[in-house]
Amino acid sequence: MKKKIVTVALGVAVALAASGAYADNAGPNDIRLGMYFVHYEATASDITGPYTPPGLNVHVQNVETLYVGYVRTLSSHFAAELAFGYPPLTKTEGRGPATLGSVPYNGRVISTARWVAPSLLLEYLFGDPSSRLRPFVGVGVNYTKFVARQSTAAGNAASGGPTSISLPVSVGPAATAGLAYELTDRWHAYASYSVAQVNTKLTADTAGIIRTSEIHFWPNTLVISVGYSF
Amino acid sequence: MLRKIGVLGVAAATLALAACGGTNSPTGAVASITNRGTLVNNPAFRVASLNAVDFTAQLGASTSGQQLLQLAGTPACGVDFYYLKYWTVGPDNSAQEASGALMVPTGSSAPCTGPRPIVLYAHGTTTDSAYNIADISDSSNSANSEAAMVAAVFAAQGYIVVAPNYLGYDISTLGYHPYVDGAADAIDMMDALTAARTALLSTFTPGTSDAGKLYVTGYSEGGYVAMATVKAMQAAGQTVTASAPSSGPYALEAFGDSIFFGQVNIGSTVFAPLVSTSYQHAYSNVYAQTSDVYTSTYATGIDTLLPSTTPLARLFQNNKLPQAALFDIKTPLSTTGNTAVDAAADALLALPSSPPYPASLAALFDSGFGASFLVNDAYRVGYVDDAVIHQDQAAMTLVSGGTLTSSNVGLAPTPAVGLRRDLATNDMRSGGWFPMEPMLLCGGDQDPTVFFQNTQIMAAQWTPYVAGGLVSVLDLNAAPGGPFAALQGGFQATYAQLVASQGATAAIQAYHPTEAPFCMVAARGFFAQVP
Repeated sequence: MKKKIVTVALGVAVALAASGAYADNAGPNDIRLGMYFVHYEATASDITGPYTPPGLNVHVQNVETLYVGYVRTLSSHFAAELAFGYPPLTKTEGRGPATLGSVPYNGRVISTARWVAPSLLLEYLFGDPSSRLRPFVGVGVNYTKFVARQSTAAGNAASGGPTSISLPVSVGPAATAGLAYELTDRWHAYASYSVAQVNTKLTADTAGIIRTSEIHFWPNTLVISVGYSF
Repeated sequence: MLRKIGVLGVAAATLALAACGGTNSPTGAVASITNRGTLVNNPAFRVASLNAVDFTAQLGASTSGQQLLQLAGTPACGVDFYYLKYWTVGPDNSAQEASGALMVPTGSSAPCTGPRPIVLYAHGTTTDSAYNIADISDSSNSANSEAAMVAAVFAAQGYIVVAPNYLGYDISTLGYHPYVDGAADAIDMMDALTAARTALLSTFTPGTSDAGKLYVTGYSEGGYVAMATVKAMQAAGQTVTASAPSSGPYALEAFGDSIFFGQVNIGSTVFAPLVSTSYQHAYSNVYAQTSDVYTSTYATGIDTLLPSTTPLARLFQNNKLPQAALFDIKTPLSTTGNTAVDAAADALLALPSSPPYPASLAALFDSGFGASFLVNDAYRVGYVDDAVIHQDQAAMTLVSGGTLTSSNVGLAPTPAVGLRRDLATNDMRSGGWFPMEPMLLCGGDQDPTVFFQNTQIMAAQWTPYVAGGLVSVLDLNAAPGGPFAALQGGFQATYAQLVASQGATAAIQAYHPTEAPFCMVAARGFFAQVP
């Protein structure tokens, strides 16, 4: 089902791109490079499962990573953006009691995962195409796949042994708002703030003991980038 | 244009993949075979880890914990509690998954690391099918206090502890517990030990290893299981360094006879269905239908009643079992037609006018009789008739007020009643064996739950080995003296306090469990003398 949603979204974007009118002489394509500053407004349900005391939760550490975007101008006011980040190593800390028995928990990095999290956004640009400064807003879809999922040594100690972590793919809505500033005919600077709904169910398996937590990551992302149009 | 997007997509995907660099971290391996003693999850799951300071603090937080600290001593080591799942076999030789605990001492001080001795511990009777002695983290688990006791007495003083939950409990799907089935219970113990030795190789403390010393102990049912395990391991050529079965029903046939003769022990209405279900599964000779043994009030479903997730108090409330009345308040009569047999049986069936036991226990035994009772009259009479015809010498010696000696404690050779034959089969007197390494038999001579006669009969059977010092008997209720005088004095003082605070009637109910930590500390002291 999720695959279908992504396929449809990509198809819509491509169709829009193919039919688009060019905004200026620089061409309809824009490649952007910059930085993602990701601040997670994560909420998670307490971890449940056998041998699990109440009140165990998690906190997700903020990350920065490289931003790469491809934007296709569709018309004088519409553009489609495919945004990638270099998959950041996202660290999850334990939240709850200071120790589980005598094993430190609160504040310890218990797991890490890299996010492969492209977003596809349809954006509306305000103002005249000839304006140097153009605000824009966009909505779209975020696809997040969690790879290289690792329970750390501290996580294994808290969990009770080597632990495998399952975090299913998340597909959810994304929204953005930002500013585009024309530096030259072909170069622009961008600043945007995006929010995506990234929900997944963490399942940890420690020697057959299964524990789960529903996590809503709510990544809030500031992107600062420059783009080259052609 | 499409192609361009495609190229960009590939580029971005390459970027992403380059960053992955690894796969999901692994959990341990799951055994693909079900051979006896195979550890299911390797490494084993660590339920909890407590260092010595935290363990001391946790024990100190409750009154019972404080008493345990006082008796067992301040923990010298921390304890890591692992949950073992392992493969064993049921009485029908089918592969069965079972579970238990591995407790590993931790800490850097000398008695806590490096090669350590193993204590193989057998737990006492429980009706809770969810019993899990590994679950130290859940104070609502019925195994919690026994787990804490074993950890405080042994693991926190540098012993690795292996303690199976037994088939029929926790994750076991056997559907019943092979209760006092000596051979089956010993197999479970030995397989738990094998799995634990595998688990020890991949704990959080790889520096802690098996020193090659094995001590076997257990309390109550576990005392019996411990002795059965020593017997089985010796027969298999495996060395037990020393053992300390405590307060166990070793002399099962004589114990059964005493109960049927009217000395109804505390807990009898619970022990009866556990025993009959176990032996019916093992030998199919206890009954054709449960009503052959049990009164119509209780017969239906009694073969699947225990162990259960329903608390015992609820089973009593729901009239699934009588609380204490094992037998009919109205004394039945023997009707074999054999005058001598009938006369002897009738004398045994009647509450004795001059009992061979202390008056303090007489009131207790009386409570084993009621108007709504568990075992039907015909079955009781048939059992007692068999006990008259095929006499257990020890039971007869005791009922006549005689003194047990090596020459008057023999088993009945061929009982006719199925249950009695099964008790004889599993009686620790059978097989003409004796422990080849030091054994301590601890108990208390006023024990109203598992009578001390079990210990006395084994000691009489093993008279030469008691005399030679191989087998030692510790009666916690005897006048303090010898190496365990402090424990004897301590137990007697504790029990006296119980009597003073709760009265004699309530205190006697707590006699058997009160002995347990004293016997375990005695076992530890005994083991320390047998390096």
